[in-house]
Amino acid sequence: MRELELYFGPQHLGMVGNFSITLKVEGDKVVEATANPGYLHRGFEKLMEMRTWTQNFPLVCRINVIEPDHMEMVYAMAVEKLAGIEVPERANYIRAIVLELARVGSHLFGLWAYSNMLGFDTVAQWAMYHRDLILDLFEELCGGRVYHIYIWPGGVRRDFPKGFKDKIVKTLHTIGSCVPDYDNAFFNNRLFYKRSAGIGKISKEDAKRFGAVGQVLRAVGEKFDVRKIEPYAVYDKIDFDVPTREDGDAYSRIWVVRDEMIQSVHMIFKLLDQMPEGRVYNRIPNPFKWKVPEGETYVRVESSRGELGLYMVSDGGDKPYRVHFRTPSFTHGLIILEKLLRNASIADVGNIMISCYVVAPEIDR
Amino acid sequence: MKTSLTEMLKKNFGDLQISFLEETRMVINVPKEQILDVLAFIKDNGYDFFALVSCVDWINEEELELVYIVSSYLIKNKLDIIVKTRIPRANPIFRTITPVFPNAEPYEREIHELFGVKFEGHPRLIPLFLERNYKIPPFRKDFDSRKYVKDVFDAVPSIEEEK
Repeated sequence: MRELELYFGPQHLGMVGNFSITLKVEGDKVVEATANPGYLHRGFEKLMEMRTWTQNFPLVCRINVIEPDHMEMVYAMAVEKLAGIEVPERANYIRAIVLELARVGSHLFGLWAYSNMLGFDTVAQWAMYHRDLILDLFEELCGGRVYHIYIWPGGVRRDFPKGFKDKIVKTLHTIGSCVPDYDNAFFNNRLFYKRSAGIGKISKEDAKRFGAVGQVLRAVGEKFDVRKIEPYAVYDKIDFDVPTREDGDAYSRIWVVRDEMIQSVHMIFKLLDQMPEGRVYNRIPNPFKWKVPEGETYVRVESSRGELGLYMVSDGGDKPYRVHFRTPSFTHGLIILEKLLRNASIADVGNIMISCYVVAPEIDR
Repeated sequence: MKTSLTEMLKKNFGDLQISFLEETRMVINVPKEQILDVLAFIKDNGYDFFALVSCVDWINEEELELVYIVSSYLIKNKLDIIVKTRIPRANPIFRTITPVFPNAEPYEREIHELFGVKFEGHPRLIPLFLERNYKIPPFRKDFDSRKYVKDVFDAVPSIEEEK
């Protein structure tokens, strides 16, 4: 059969985000796929070398639009490690709560993208509505809905507003009460099973060989989670489970996402109960004159897509010498996606890509 | 685990400079000829999760520093190993590590594009993000992005001027 070249994205209904894939197809079978990122390359890592340590926050949170908090967290942790700043206990609890809220919001966004792609429009609208409720919480907390700039070196920018705890509990109860609806309409739906089981299947060996993290790895049965391996914030003081599945296909990955959301909600309730009183930040020096000691560091956190790392070098100046983000989508969206798309059908390209949770700005940076 | 790996590395490779940034971060400075052997040795000893290739431009010392960060999928190995080596800035040619860690492939493409390091033996060193050709690779320290923007985009006439 004749081979054709097909450009999939960035302007394509099956594509979420500014990302494109060049497919070589034979009939409706993909012979070879080449990921083609770069539509969102803004050179953030270079721009950060020209801005002071705190001026970088507006750039950092734009690396991942969907969950900026983990980006802020990893950057703040790196600066704290280089400068030797301690974080108060209450700030650590607030950080963990904000990060888990961001995880739920991000997973709901992912659920929107996935169910919308499969044609489950009702479920998609629910997920988007529930994400919006979480964004309302963030708006009250820090004024911004999407970009928060709330986590800061030395703690968080300000304490919870009055009555905020009750609002979190109320919102999470609203979302949690809809879990049976989600299950009936989507997760236990036969159509979802038929469209996703066996799609984009990756074996355990390949997942490890190509450096998979996050859902892609947990869907093959590996209990790999930075929150457990190297606890940051207060994850060592809280009891939670790392959900896994065995099959490694799109079905398993989306089920892992669902189970993780439920774990996160339980975790937020526990964190709210245990949260101590006290200060929420330690003062940092004048940001315009702040010189961070010479050195290098590598820090990592578990974002909603998997391990997120940051390699940072300081030459003792008022600006970072080099920052490099290790984002989970970089491996998922380039090397693993290309591998999974080989021999897939054209109709499953979007399915595989969204089930791997690829976010284009994270690849390009 | 930590001490035994240090000892094994010293036994196998002689005088490697091994230091610790903190309890769980090990830094190994490797001569550039030994990089593949050291990475393969680390991989065989349970550190199989390859996280990152990065590059730092030390312009005053006329060197580019390649940084490989390796960690483990096993939960008991709580170490992140930072393997570093330096290559001359004027002649940045280096070996690819894709035979050892296949997922280094897109990272090396990125470093090739942004720092101009040529990786010998890489399966496809095609452009990743950029579409223009730059005289100086754009992430090097001597690339002045403000000047570049002024030179390139100020040369384009505005809509009023074109009328």
